[in-house]
Amino acid sequence: MQALPPPPPAIVAPAPERSVGTTGQVRVAAAMTDARVMIDSSFRGASIVLYGAVFNPTDRPADVVVVVRGPDGPVRLVKKTRHMGFWLNSRPVLFEGAPGFYMTASTRPLPDIADFGQLRRLGVGVDHLRINAPQESRTVTRYGVRDVVVSRLGEDYLDYRRAVIRLREAAALYNTDPDGVEFVDAGLFRAELELPAVAPTGEYFAEVWLFQDGEPVSVSNLTLTVEKVGIERGLYEFAHRRPWSYGILTVLLAALMGWGASRLFRRS
Amino acid sequence: MDIYLPIAEVSVNWPLLVLLGATVGFVSGLFGIGGGFLMAPILIFMGIPPSVAVASQASHVVASSTSGVISYTSQKAVDYRIGGVMALGGVIGALLGVELFRYLRLLGQADMAVAVSYLLFLGAIGTLMLYESLGQILRRVRGEILPHKERRRPLWLYGLPLKMRFPRSGLYISAIPPFVLGGFAGVLSAIMGVGGGFILVPAMLYVLRMKAGVVVGTSLFQIIIVTAMTTVLQAGRNQTVDIVLSMLLLVGGVVGAQYGARLSGRFRPDVLRALLGLIVLLVGIQMGLELFVRPSDLFAFAPGVPD
Repeated sequence: MQALPPPPPAIVAPAPERSVGTTGQVRVAAAMTDARVMIDSSFRGASIVLYGAVFNPTDRPADVVVVVRGPDGPVRLVKKTRHMGFWLNSRPVLFEGAPGFYMTASTRPLPDIADFGQLRRLGVGVDHLRINAPQESRTVTRYGVRDVVVSRLGEDYLDYRRAVIRLREAAALYNTDPDGVEFVDAGLFRAELELPAVAPTGEYFAEVWLFQDGEPVSVSNLTLTVEKVGIERGLYEFAHRRPWSYGILTVLLAALMGWGASRLFRRS
Repeated sequence: MDIYLPIAEVSVNWPLLVLLGATVGFVSGLFGIGGGFLMAPILIFMGIPPSVAVASQASHVVASSTSGVISYTSQKAVDYRIGGVMALGGVIGALLGVELFRYLRLLGQADMAVAVSYLLFLGAIGTLMLYESLGQILRRVRGEILPHKERRRPLWLYGLPLKMRFPRSGLYISAIPPFVLGGFAGVLSAIMGVGGGFILVPAMLYVLRMKAGVVVGTSLFQIIIVTAMTTVLQAGRNQTVDIVLSMLLLVGGVVGAQYGARLSGRFRPDVLRALLGLIVLLVGIQMGLELFVRPSDLFAFAPGVPD
């Protein structure tokens, strides 16, 4: 005798309210074609499409801003200065808060969408990244005002900060695209995310902002994982977990190949 | 045709790397040198981080030198005794060099140290080799009689303690000069990623006055030991050895080295030396140029973040 199927639950759970509020309130929803980027030996960078929909029952126009941020890591920067005809490196300056990858794509140039204060508060745009050199700064009392932060770099500070962004932009790691968000149909948009081969591994966070009259009205958060897989991952972990065995193996392989080649060529 | 290198974290064209390995291997077999001085600048130019380039190509030098030493051993052209003394110095030098390189990286001066070393050592050695060999070629072409060779060694070589006999090199000298020479090559090996053959060979010929026949084989033997040590140390201390990059360079390198070694017998030694001197000089100037030319961007990232 077969067991009967269990009786249906007394209370049926309501279906997820996917479209709640879409008629009454301005909202943005988004998704990515890939939530995981796998770096294998044929990795040459990746292109991911971020797409989404805008629910805008009002008659005021809305702007979409996509911000993708890679894992943070400190960077060190040197400035080359000329001493007696030689170009020498300065002491390195440590900067923190610089994401390993950063891109913005929007329907219009960012300054047209929201004002400076608003963008700065949200940290949207390369100019508003919280890149700082904490070791170079100290607090002093000036004109009777306590805890004024000054930087030992003095006037060079902004040049250094700008150089971090410029060098990253040159490596295609930072990108600002004022018309990267494209509406394919009414309320339906897409944006492309180009990851270069040098993109760091780790967790990436994407924010899709909806602005109306210079105010953020809705946001959608997404995550993306970039990781090494397969043999790439195995070798990387081997090199970092057992560095000495890794080194010895490399040397043995090299010596073996040298020996093998000389044997091979002597016979032929 | 591109491959992603797991440690260097860049994507490169792999047939190009094999070809580069083969070319440098050919040059190394032809002139009896490791060829590292040629490889590092090209790898850096291809976009591989300098610290990874310097550390990974050391194993290429191991392989091409191994096949070289095997063929020289069969010709009885390796003096293992003096080579061993030099290798001992070299290992200590490599230990010091890797630590020095770590420290320079922390100071943000690693790339500058590399540029200065290349300019200084390659520039000087290249100029000397070119000058000496061109003079010899000129005299030969004009049919002049070669001036009597000064066969005396510098006197201070005899004043030092710890004398050892090196029968195969025809030497009875103190162990200190070859030890110091090996140590110096070891430091350079860690900083420049080179075997140091371009320093060792002239020093063994003109300072120690070893028998010319054993010079190249012996220097290759010392280079194997030192570059093997450097590779292990760089992997262990800095994690900058990319095994995929190494193997790609090796595949081409070992084959190239064999063809180079075969061809070297067909050229006159002075012509070979002039050619090598020219290459050494050009690479030195190219690498040193960044010290004098205004950089396109005044700012640069310094590798290595202190923990």
